[in-house]
Amino acid sequence: MISYKNFSFFKTVFLLGILSLYFVPPTWAKLNVVGTTENLAALAKEVGQNLAVVKSIARGYQDPHHVDPKPSYMVMVNRADLLLYHGLDLESAWLPQLIEGSRNRQIRFGQIGHLDLSQSVDQILEIPFGVVDRSMGDVHPFGNPHYTMDPLNGIRIAHSIAERMSILDPENESLYKSNAGAFETKVNTKLKQWENRLRKFSDKKIVTYHRNWSYFFARFGLQYLGNVEIRPGILPSPRHLADLAVEMKRQHSNLIINTNYFPTKWSDLLAQKTNARVVVLPAMVNGIPEARDYISFIEYLVNRYEQELSKSP
Amino acid sequence: MKPYLILFFIIFSLSFGGVASPQVKGNPDVDMDEFERLMDQQMKQSKPSNSPEKTNRNNRPFRVNGKTSNKMDKVEQRLDKLENLNRQRATTFGTRSNALSTTATGINRLFNPAISFNTLGLATYRSKGNGPEGGEHDDEHEDQHVHGFGEHETGFRIQELELNAQAYIDNYLRGSITLAMHDVEDIEMEEAFVDFVPFLNLNIRAGKYFVPFGKHAQLHTHQFPFIDAPQAVGGVVGAEFNEVGIGINPIIPLPWFSEISFNILNGDNETLFDSQHDDDFAYLIHSKNLWDLNENTTLELGGSYAFGENGSSGANNHTDVVGANMTIIYRPLNRTRFRSLIWQAEYLGAFKETGIEKETGDHNPDENIGGVYTFLQYQFLQRWWIQGRYDFLGLHNDDVPGEAGEDTHQWSALLAFANSEFQSLRLQYNYLDYDGFGDRGFDHEHQLLLQLNFTMGAHPAHLY
Ligand SMILES: [Zn+2]
Repeated sequence: MISYKNFSFFKTVFLLGILSLYFVPPTWAKLNVVGTTENLAALAKEVGQNLAVVKSIARGYQDPHHVDPKPSYMVMVNRADLLLYHGLDLESAWLPQLIEGSRNRQIRFGQIGHLDLSQSVDQILEIPFGVVDRSMGDVHPFGNPHYTMDPLNGIRIAHSIAERMSILDPENESLYKSNAGAFETKVNTKLKQWENRLRKFSDKKIVTYHRNWSYFFARFGLQYLGNVEIRPGILPSPRHLADLAVEMKRQHSNLIINTNYFPTKWSDLLAQKTNARVVVLPAMVNGIPEARDYISFIEYLVNRYEQELSKSP
Repeated sequence: MKPYLILFFIIFSLSFGGVASPQVKGNPDVDMDEFERLMDQQMKQSKPSNSPEKTNRNNRPFRVNGKTSNKMDKVEQRLDKLENLNRQRATTFGTRSNALSTTATGINRLFNPAISFNTLGLATYRSKGNGPEGGEHDDEHEDQHVHGFGEHETGFRIQELELNAQAYIDNYLRGSITLAMHDVEDIEMEEAFVDFVPFLNLNIRAGKYFVPFGKHAQLHTHQFPFIDAPQAVGGVVGAEFNEVGIGINPIIPLPWFSEISFNILNGDNETLFDSQHDDDFAYLIHSKNLWDLNENTTLELGGSYAFGENGSSGANNHTDVVGANMTIIYRPLNRTRFRSLIWQAEYLGAFKETGIEKETGDHNPDENIGGVYTFLQYQFLQRWWIQGRYDFLGLHNDDVPGEAGEDTHQWSALLAFANSEFQSLRLQYNYLDYDGFGDRGFDHEHQLLLQLNFTMGAHPAHLY
């Protein structure tokens, strides 16, 4: 049995514990950046290049609304100089615990290492009007947080990150800013091609499982017919799907897009009733191997949408 | 083996088999055949109407029924107009900032703490009834009985109503206050503390808080994996292990998550400490380690040790408490909300000196008690959980004369339906097997508990 008389044991452990705090790994010459999603991490990589070590908390095929606040993520945030997140309550169920648990003052709210990227987006879509409550499901009370799907927002985010990195690491300010500029040029060249390829489908009505395509659709002139889930986070009812099926037939809509982190069984059933096709797509960089970085991710989405929409009768 | 036990195991394994067998493809949360039948029925009733604009704007449900479509069209047109008006207003007058402005009203809701109410409604059936021999509330022994009775009496009750408020106090401090009402009458301050991060890697917590001892003892009632706490926890450290004190919680810079917590506590816990001298503190050290075994699986190992002085007379009044805990969580990253498997096991032991015999000056025999529990939680569908638990209280006390009958084995099974993170309905069955009759007059019993757990207000913190 352990004896109470071992007070010196307690003291020793205590002192060792305090001492161990000073064995902090040597400060990296590089900036440590943590993004909550692969999309933010990918944009930070464009800006940081080899000056920053960038990590993402959620994997590309993982639902960013529902992430476990694993202590290993706290370790990740603990070592971060800069924390990037979507905001608009997308990460509200798990990010606060990671920030608290990380014991890193520099990335707390209001600090220089804390960056909410929704601030750099010009227009947030689908801000609910009137009273919002939980009977409406997992509604995002501040609007749709999936804004990284618009490449123009990608550019805005890259510039915000460059600005913040320049404050954290002023010596390399010009590099961060020129990286962001180079990224903007690359996207702008691509954007014209992308727009040309998808514009012609603006009369097609598309069903998606969740509304994480709103910004992508707005940029490329595509249209929703409806959503498989009733409201964000609320599973479909037979009635809702029946109504949707009737509408799809009436409007000759035959494409159902299901983001890869949502179950497909409802989309499959709906497709079976309407002779539509279900296409499973990633919503994040690294959601599938082909989407290695931000531009190849958008490129992949444009390819798939073009392919699928031109199949339509 | 007792027939009840056999029955219990059969039911338990059947319910496991039953959930494993259906064609688990994708993530069926509902009976898809039935779903399809209802959907077909609905589609037959629905005739496509001729209204040109039929997109599901703003998630408003579609109109389908041809008969009411005219009326519905009018209503919808009106709604559209109203919506447009609202939209214009919002941009023109900046309603958002005005509504929250405090300049004229002095009433500022913007800086309110995040508030949540949690309520636990409980219905219980107990095979041995509620007579005095059934362990009816008995103030003298309340503390020993918390691990067995109270919430286990036949009847309806509000098991607990909890109010939590949290906010950043200023740029240094973050505060959290939790008040709890049990059985409607008494209000208890469960927690009231501030957290402070003075520099990298360190957190300091001061106030009244659930001390970081083991795993289960840190949980609020509504966070319990089962409806009740294991006897191995309640019987060793008491129903609640919250203390006034100060804790220093560094993260040790290692490749995995490793936290050590040092706590100096007032030592008010009646089960363990509660010394007659006001200047006797209790001390607690806890180590929490967590490894990612792979992307989908984590292993947590924890160790706890606390010591202090208890209420016994003389110098022979020290208490040592030790604990060890292990949790493995499997939750596939790409299906975070739909599948998980949790295995947890914990050991707790308390070793108490019990004072000096006045006449002889001899030390009284030590009062020791220990327990273990282990449980498995399996989330087999998005909203459904099935769980099993084994719980034993009675380690270390064998050598105490007359106390041998206190050993208790408990088997529990639970089925939970959690419609959202804000609401769950759980049904639990307990079979308790006492080694002796003790003073209760029976050596086994059955309990059935049905609990409704709901939260209003701020989003409950996800635990890990
Ligand atoms: Zn969303």
